[in-house]
Amino acid sequence: MSTPGTAALTRLADLVGAEHFWTDPTGLSRYVVDGRWPRAAVQPGSAEEVAEVVRLARAEKLALVPVGGGTRLGLGMPPSRYDVAVDCSRLNRIIAYDPGDLTLGVEAGMRVAALDAVLARHGQMLPLEMPFFDAMTIGGMLASGSSGPQRQLYGAPRDFLLGAEFVTGEGRRAKSGGRVVKNVTGYDFHRLLIGSLGTLAIFTVANFRTFPRPPAQALFVISFAELGGALALRRALAQSPLTPTAIELASPALVRLLGPDAALVPPGHWSVWVLAGGESTVVERHARDLERMARSASRTAFARLDAESMNPLWTRLREFPSLAREASPAPTLVKCNMLPGELGTLAAHAENIAGRHRLPCALLLRGVGILYVLLLPEETGEETLARLAAAAEELLQTGTEYGSAVVEACPVELKRMVHVWGSAARRNDLELMRRLKQVFDPDHVLSPGRHIGGL
Amino acid sequence: MHPTKAVSRRLQRRTLRDLQRLLGPENVLHEPEDLLLYEYDGSVEVARPDCVVFPQTTEQVVGIVQIARRDRVPIVGRGAGTGLSGGALAREGGIVVVFSRMNRILEIDLENQRAVVQPGVVNLDLTKAVEHAGLYFAPDPSSQKACTIGGNVAENAGGPHTLAYGVTTNHVLGLELVLMDGSVVRVGSRAPDPPGYDLTGLLVGSEGTLALVTEITVRLLRSPEAVKTLLAVFDRVDDATATVVEITARAITPAACEMLDGWTLRAVEDFIHAGFPLDAAAVLLIELEGLAEAVEAQAVQVFDVCTRCRAREVRLARDEAERQRLWAGRKNAFGAVGRLSPSYYTQDGVIPRTKLPETLRRIEQIGATYGFQIGNVFHAGDGNLHPIILFDSRDPDQFARAVAASTAIMEHCLSVGGALTGEHGVGMEKSELMPRMFTEDDLELMRRVRDAFDPLGLLNPGKILPLGKGCGEIRVQPLPLRAPQSA
Repeated sequence: MSTPGTAALTRLADLVGAEHFWTDPTGLSRYVVDGRWPRAAVQPGSAEEVAEVVRLARAEKLALVPVGGGTRLGLGMPPSRYDVAVDCSRLNRIIAYDPGDLTLGVEAGMRVAALDAVLARHGQMLPLEMPFFDAMTIGGMLASGSSGPQRQLYGAPRDFLLGAEFVTGEGRRAKSGGRVVKNVTGYDFHRLLIGSLGTLAIFTVANFRTFPRPPAQALFVISFAELGGALALRRALAQSPLTPTAIELASPALVRLLGPDAALVPPGHWSVWVLAGGESTVVERHARDLERMARSASRTAFARLDAESMNPLWTRLREFPSLAREASPAPTLVKCNMLPGELGTLAAHAENIAGRHRLPCALLLRGVGILYVLLLPEETGEETLARLAAAAEELLQTGTEYGSAVVEACPVELKRMVHVWGSAARRNDLELMRRLKQVFDPDHVLSPGRHIGGL
Repeated sequence: MHPTKAVSRRLQRRTLRDLQRLLGPENVLHEPEDLLLYEYDGSVEVARPDCVVFPQTTEQVVGIVQIARRDRVPIVGRGAGTGLSGGALAREGGIVVVFSRMNRILEIDLENQRAVVQPGVVNLDLTKAVEHAGLYFAPDPSSQKACTIGGNVAENAGGPHTLAYGVTTNHVLGLELVLMDGSVVRVGSRAPDPPGYDLTGLLVGSEGTLALVTEITVRLLRSPEAVKTLLAVFDRVDDATATVVEITARAITPAACEMLDGWTLRAVEDFIHAGFPLDAAAVLLIELEGLAEAVEAQAVQVFDVCTRCRAREVRLARDEAERQRLWAGRKNAFGAVGRLSPSYYTQDGVIPRTKLPETLRRIEQIGATYGFQIGNVFHAGDGNLHPIILFDSRDPDQFARAVAASTAIMEHCLSVGGALTGEHGVGMEKSELMPRMFTEDDLELMRRVRDAFDPLGLLNPGKILPLGKGCGEIRVQPLPLRAPQSA
């Protein structure tokens, strides 16, 4: 349909410079999305160049997919058209950092880990520990709606993003919010763009409030013979005055993925991973209260790891989606969102569904009300794929009954059998989303077809 | 004063008749004397609606929207009318929809810390309904005894404790909306991360220009186990602002950090007897909340910073009664100031916190240049200024100078990287200043998003976005007159 003419590609190359333009398979292999190859990839060097690329693409009817670290390109449905990858990694500068004000403006292509290193030098941080931490960019993190365990205490990125600059599907540069910690001037487009998968606009700058790095931290790993004990501890924590940074519940199978370091959890046992940070007196208070709560919930083991000793175990837990790749040739990750009080019910459903379809599965329950279900088939035959599809479909359905559910990662072939957004496509606010797509990207230049309802 | 003239368009007979049929005549006001109250909100503006209606159900709101749409009448949502930027005023006349009779708390889920409320529920009433379980609703504008959660959602309201807990948008999970085409749409969800675009994030703070909100799902927080309230007293304003800078720089995060300058605290003390020292140049009211150990550690740090920054005295509120007195002094400051001057005008600018000392010096200069006393009582911890300009609005020369002084302050805020409004909203007060902060492309995008929700432009017209070039309306600058209460 949209075969880019040589002329259009040449103009793109002229625009960004030949050294930032690829058409060869080696150069393009990083930008493959769900098996679809672009015709070309560009690395714009400025927000204005991003805008020019988008304007040119719009005029030439080329479809673009914005790319950051390339870590979560498998989210959503395959793009319905894909001509050019827009790699934002050259937009990698901190444009304003005022440590005394705890505010920051950073270009969207900067890697989360690189930014973290800069903030660390000032004793500050952004609570962005999440899978693919080392490779993910700020823009990709926002566009993919990613978050991690620290949201228990700090909230999701939407809660500390102060403003953004972006390029719309019409190739216009625009902004919303600002770089001050309190601001209600104008519509909050920066929140709207979080999780939009690059279907409305391409982030070029993000402004955040930063946080103090806690002076002391400790990770508590508390084991239980049954899920029930782990859930009881979660509940007791939620009703306590404690302020844990993270509360993660891991199934025995998930602990096995973590390797020999995880031996502090007895084999076959569930575990609750509680991260606490702050002044040392605050960490000690968590230790005391947790010990007591864990005992009344009949814990089978209680381990404490301090800041120096908690890695690499904590890192491995954070990176659980990548561990799945080591454990299975076709790992499939379903994310279910629900009220925290329903985590146990849904976890039981998930194990049941996986069991019925004879699929090994590992579960990670996040205290704020998220259940990650990792389906880990041992091989990739057609029959296995069929079972995988059936299980994913059931998980989507059941998850939706309690809130929402999406398939976050899976083999490409599965996307021909399962709609990864589940029944989200039947939400009654989809029409509003379509109207917004029409405003931001009327010609469907950006990531066409990847988001729910073909947005 | 020169209030913005409402373009009064007489309602068609059938509009009124159908509204009365839909809601019952007792729920429709249209006599001029009945409309008087609704010409005002907490701002300095005045605009007369053509009628005021009181729906009780979402279906009735749909009916109102359908009538308004059919007859091309503007429609403006209103909570308690405590807003400070004219958001609830019918700038172009039309129907004001008051949500005060949709004031039920529909559901409380203590375990999951959620509540579902109708828009007319009063902010503080939600906290009262859940405090027995150790929970509360975090946004706490100073008007929280009167203002509604629907109004909080429209304006993305803040308050002193937003420093630690965030503003309304950080506590709203989902909404039921009535759109201008008469459809009822649910956005967001009780569960985290609903797939798709974050429409809830877009709607909160959209000042009633995109949809009417008929139901709100909010998050409730657990009350902290420990609270300490400190009063730090300074002989120099510069020392007080330096303290705020240092507290921020050391990344100490109080739950609230409020400043009153000497002139304001004397006005307050005369009226409230909060216990502020009369000879101080400034005081900081600092509240620490959380785990007992965290509060203890922070108190030590705050004492240290205050002392280093030459605080004359740092006093810890000994008991709840003293704590309440100090807060009464802060929360009633605007009322106290109101007794001293025929008119006053409260601004709402934001600056990076590192710019606080130079900004307060600049405000003092501006006061001197234009010949006014400018008081300062504000959310110092998040750089959210509320300078109060006292003047006599009956004197046209004073009025003009007050406007000029106010504009000079806003220009300074923007010049140091700040924003036009931290919590009061743009409304009709600052819509004409929007081009100072946003480009034409930024504003055009906002305009088109508004049009996507409301193609006929009937929903709260004349708010947020500048009225535009060449439309011929002569717009008086933001109008200082009075301000009953500020956040």
